[in-house]
Amino acid sequence: MSLRLQIGRVGAVLVLAFAALASRSEAQVLNSGASTITLQAVLNDSLTVSLSSSAVNFTLTPGSASNPGSLGITATTAWALKPSVGSVKVYAFFANSATALTDGAGHNIPSADFQISNNAGPFTALTSTVLFGGANAGMLLSTTRILGNNRSGSHQDLMNFNINLTTIPSLPAATYTGTLTIRAQAI
Amino acid sequence: MNTGKFSRITAVALGLALATTMAAAQVNSGAQTITLNAKLAESLTLGLSANAVSFTLAAGSATNAGSTSITATTKWTLLPGRTAVGVYAYFSSTTALTDGAGNNIPSSAFFIADNTNPSTALTGTTPWGTGTGLQMENIAITGTNRSSSQTDAMTFNIDLSSLPQLPAATYTGTLNIQAQAIT
Repeated sequence: MSLRLQIGRVGAVLVLAFAALASRSEAQVLNSGASTITLQAVLNDSLTVSLSSSAVNFTLTPGSASNPGSLGITATTAWALKPSVGSVKVYAFFANSATALTDGAGHNIPSADFQISNNAGPFTALTSTVLFGGANAGMLLSTTRILGNNRSGSHQDLMNFNINLTTIPSLPAATYTGTLTIRAQAI
Repeated sequence: MNTGKFSRITAVALGLALATTMAAAQVNSGAQTITLNAKLAESLTLGLSANAVSFTLAAGSATNAGSTSITATTKWTLLPGRTAVGVYAYFSSTTALTDGAGNNIPSSAFFIADNTNPSTALTGTTPWGTGTGLQMENIAITGTNRSSSQTDAMTFNIDLSSLPQLPAATYTGTLNIQAQAIT
């Protein structure tokens, strides 16, 4: 075999090898077309009120202005709101101002004699007409202004209770029961 | 004209849109309830301004006044079914005072003048005895006084006109004041 022939064979082999490598390199990159996924995350308006307890007892003294409840109750209002909401208000109310508590036999303690001290504020009778409940049977506990930094937030109202019997000194001995409702509204 | 109509329609549409937006922005929480239970217990109490009276007796005298008057204050808070409160003074027997040696002053010789009422011997019937007491009050209970009070200012006298031979001695006794509410 001549030297020229040998060099030719080696060259042919090298050309084939490079061609094969180049072909493999092109086969490893194969891109599809781009498919899109539309993402949607909805954070719904939410407004909840939860209570630390749901029952209060009173031991009444006839004609006394001071008949405190057995415990205070904390209402925790939590929210996640749309930007358009301006404030969150929390209310306490009875369904009927004349019969906040009753013995079921026609003897009643009106909402005007039921008082709440909210967050160490003065005791206030439930005599306002609020969004919920009966006329003259409620009170506004708190108003929280909603700004950019508290659209998702919470607020606590610590309520202490009292029944003032000075206006009904002849209330007969009995067990009086009632339901106080706590509710919030974002507007 | 067409421009005016268009303006009005636009204004109405904007108003509706605003109202819808405002309505949608109002969010109410659920209603959380607190059960309230207030107990006003039935009670009937009687307190006295003092609990001792002395008498200096004069033999055969109709007038032997007690050293002090005593006021009984009765307070009550009653169940709706109660109809009356009675206040009574009574001895446990017809022997009101005794010297312990068989010499006695009977309840018929012991008198109480209650408030502005005349002085009366304790010879009436009470829930706790016959012929030994006096009903001082009989208060009708209505819707206006189910929780109330009453005072009875009592002045005392021992009439010895029917016991002219009562021997000299120290006579002691216990007068009871008690109230009762009835249905």
